[in-house]
Amino acid sequence: MKKLICGILILSLLLSVMGLNVVAATEPVTIQFWHNYDAGAGQIDVLNQLIAQFKETNPSIKVNQVYLEWQALKNNVVAGATTGMLPDVLRGDIGFVPQFQALNVLVEMNTVFPDYVNAADAVLEAPNSTAKAGDHYYGIASNTNTKILYYNKNLISTVPATLDEMWAIAEKVSSKDVIGFCEAWMGGWNLCQYIWSYGGDILAPDYSTASGYINGSIAVAVIQRLADLFAVGAFSGPTIDPGALPDTDGMGTGKYAMTIDGPWKAKDLSTKYPDLQYGAVQMPAGPAGSIGVLGGEDFMMFKTSDAAHQDAAWKFIKFMTGKKAQIEMAKVGQMPVNKEALADKEVLKVMPLLSIFSNALQTCKARPVTPKWGDMEGVINTKATEAVLGQKSVQTAMDEAAAEINALLQ
Amino acid sequence: MVPHAFFRTKKYFRKKDNVRMLLLLVPGLVVMGMFTFYPIIKMFVMSFFDWKIGYNQVSPFIGIENYLTVFSDPIAGMALANTLFYAVVTVPMQIILGLLVALLINDIKKFSVSFRLLYYLPVITSWVVVALLFRYIFSNQGLLNYLLTDVFKWIPEHIGWLSTRWPAMTAMTLLGIWKGIGWNMVIFLAALQAVPKEYYEASSIDGASSIQKFFYITIPNIKGTILFCIVMLVIGAFNTYTPIAVITGGNPAHQTDVVLTWTYYQTFSSYRMGYAAAFSFIIAAIVAVIAIILFKVLRPERM
Repeated sequence: MKKLICGILILSLLLSVMGLNVVAATEPVTIQFWHNYDAGAGQIDVLNQLIAQFKETNPSIKVNQVYLEWQALKNNVVAGATTGMLPDVLRGDIGFVPQFQALNVLVEMNTVFPDYVNAADAVLEAPNSTAKAGDHYYGIASNTNTKILYYNKNLISTVPATLDEMWAIAEKVSSKDVIGFCEAWMGGWNLCQYIWSYGGDILAPDYSTASGYINGSIAVAVIQRLADLFAVGAFSGPTIDPGALPDTDGMGTGKYAMTIDGPWKAKDLSTKYPDLQYGAVQMPAGPAGSIGVLGGEDFMMFKTSDAAHQDAAWKFIKFMTGKKAQIEMAKVGQMPVNKEALADKEVLKVMPLLSIFSNALQTCKARPVTPKWGDMEGVINTKATEAVLGQKSVQTAMDEAAAEINALLQ
Repeated sequence: MVPHAFFRTKKYFRKKDNVRMLLLLVPGLVVMGMFTFYPIIKMFVMSFFDWKIGYNQVSPFIGIENYLTVFSDPIAGMALANTLFYAVVTVPMQIILGLLVALLINDIKKFSVSFRLLYYLPVITSWVVVALLFRYIFSNQGLLNYLLTDVFKWIPEHIGWLSTRWPAMTAMTLLGIWKGIGWNMVIFLAALQAVPKEYYEASSIDGASSIQKFFYITIPNIKGTILFCIVMLVIGAFNTYTPIAVITGGNPAHQTDVVLTWTYYQTFSSYRMGYAAAFSFIIAAIVAVIAIILFKVLRPERM
């Protein structure tokens, strides 16, 4: 009798545990998804449609999307790192990966999910390399971009093929009412492309030092060229001169003749200044080629989520990096990373500049993947601005930059 | 001594009113403690650590290193100099103009309310909106340059009002002054109305001029209000953030940053929480010293 009772108890316990598992597997999971998709471009509408489609095939997973502006997205993760209030999925700037990884909040995706390799294979390798820190992947590419040259057709008659030509044309077309060339900022995002294209670099390849790189002869010559252009009124931008027009407005009103920017600029110009006659070509080449800066966003996951939420989040990420979702997002300006989506006819139709960007993506490079890169960009911006304004000699300013960056590398 | 203190406390709590009073104070004290005293103490502690904000990360104790870093940081010095410039220009100007407007409005019989409303309007408008308006006025292609070069043709080329440090700081101080006159006017109007009319009548009989009345009757009677305004405006000047963030964003190269914009940059762009905490404490100490000096110089007890 005792044995029977024991047997019944054990059996019922087993059944209850199994039953719990069954319940757990089908129990609805709500995942929090933070992102900075652009509502103005219609991306959030598309996102909502995609979430609805995802729910059709995954009825037990509810995706709660939360829009946060770029800085707010970063600040919320910083605050959440202390409180543990973090989302299950985040789609944010590629530069966030090393920064958040340094906060010890990101999931090592290639270790946790065995099928990460397959998902990563479906996307372009270069954009996905931005999700790598050390030997592990802490994200997967969501969308990619780089920068190309936009020029005002009424002001520029000869399209420059080299950077030297571009600077010469900038100087030539400048007058009391026109500034030949504009850069929105002076950080690495804006200067790397010139330094790389002339054959220089920001840091040593092993990230051990900045000496001899950011203050090397090539970087100094590039910044000197910009300083010379600024001195004759052929170069400006809203951070070098806070009184200057923002880059889009300056291009749109014919104040700036040329600028180098990402795919969003085409949309901004067409929307805000539909009458503007502008052209776009791959960034002119330097002696080392046309080496642009790789931009874009990655999907990331957080350690604070439990296993059920992480699994649901991973399913959602795979859906968002899949061909179908990537094509839909391409229609609202997001350049796909999914290889199949990139070759899709529909995508080629909705992104007229895609071929230019695709060529540029072949030769572009990612910025250094290091947690302190944000600080380093700040240093480069400050010192390069001082040099361009003529407050310090370029060499002195960049020597100071190298010293400050070296301190950050330690 | 201890038993004596104990009995005194016991006696205190025996009084029903005292208990009731304490109970009424508790919610306020709890809120103050949680949202004012605790953050201040926590921030003071943070200023001695290389404070890590990451998940489960250890913050090493580094002593006064954050303070030393602040003292050797040229941008922190520049931000402090800009803030002091903002305070030195905006505080006296707001007080002088606010008092002037209050005196004028105090003397008029008709449209007094309309004028008060007009002068007070800038105070209730949004900082962001007016800062954006000022940016459009002072930008290279802005209204001011348009008037000077294209309409009146007084200057041949546009002036970069916001392009360099001091002109940009001047433009931002103008905004601070314009926005603050109304607040000062209201405070001074209240103070002026409290000055007994008999003093003016008596001085009129003695043959005092308007200027003499102002310096010998008005000013001594509103001295306390002036001190109050100075202290509040100095604290306000050290708290200025929005106009700088909107108009120049600290550009170019942090040359127009003030203490709060620099603290924000260090906290949320560089995650240097310890540095930002130390800088905040240094600023708090400076404001406290200024307030003490003001109280000593103006001596409110003599007012």
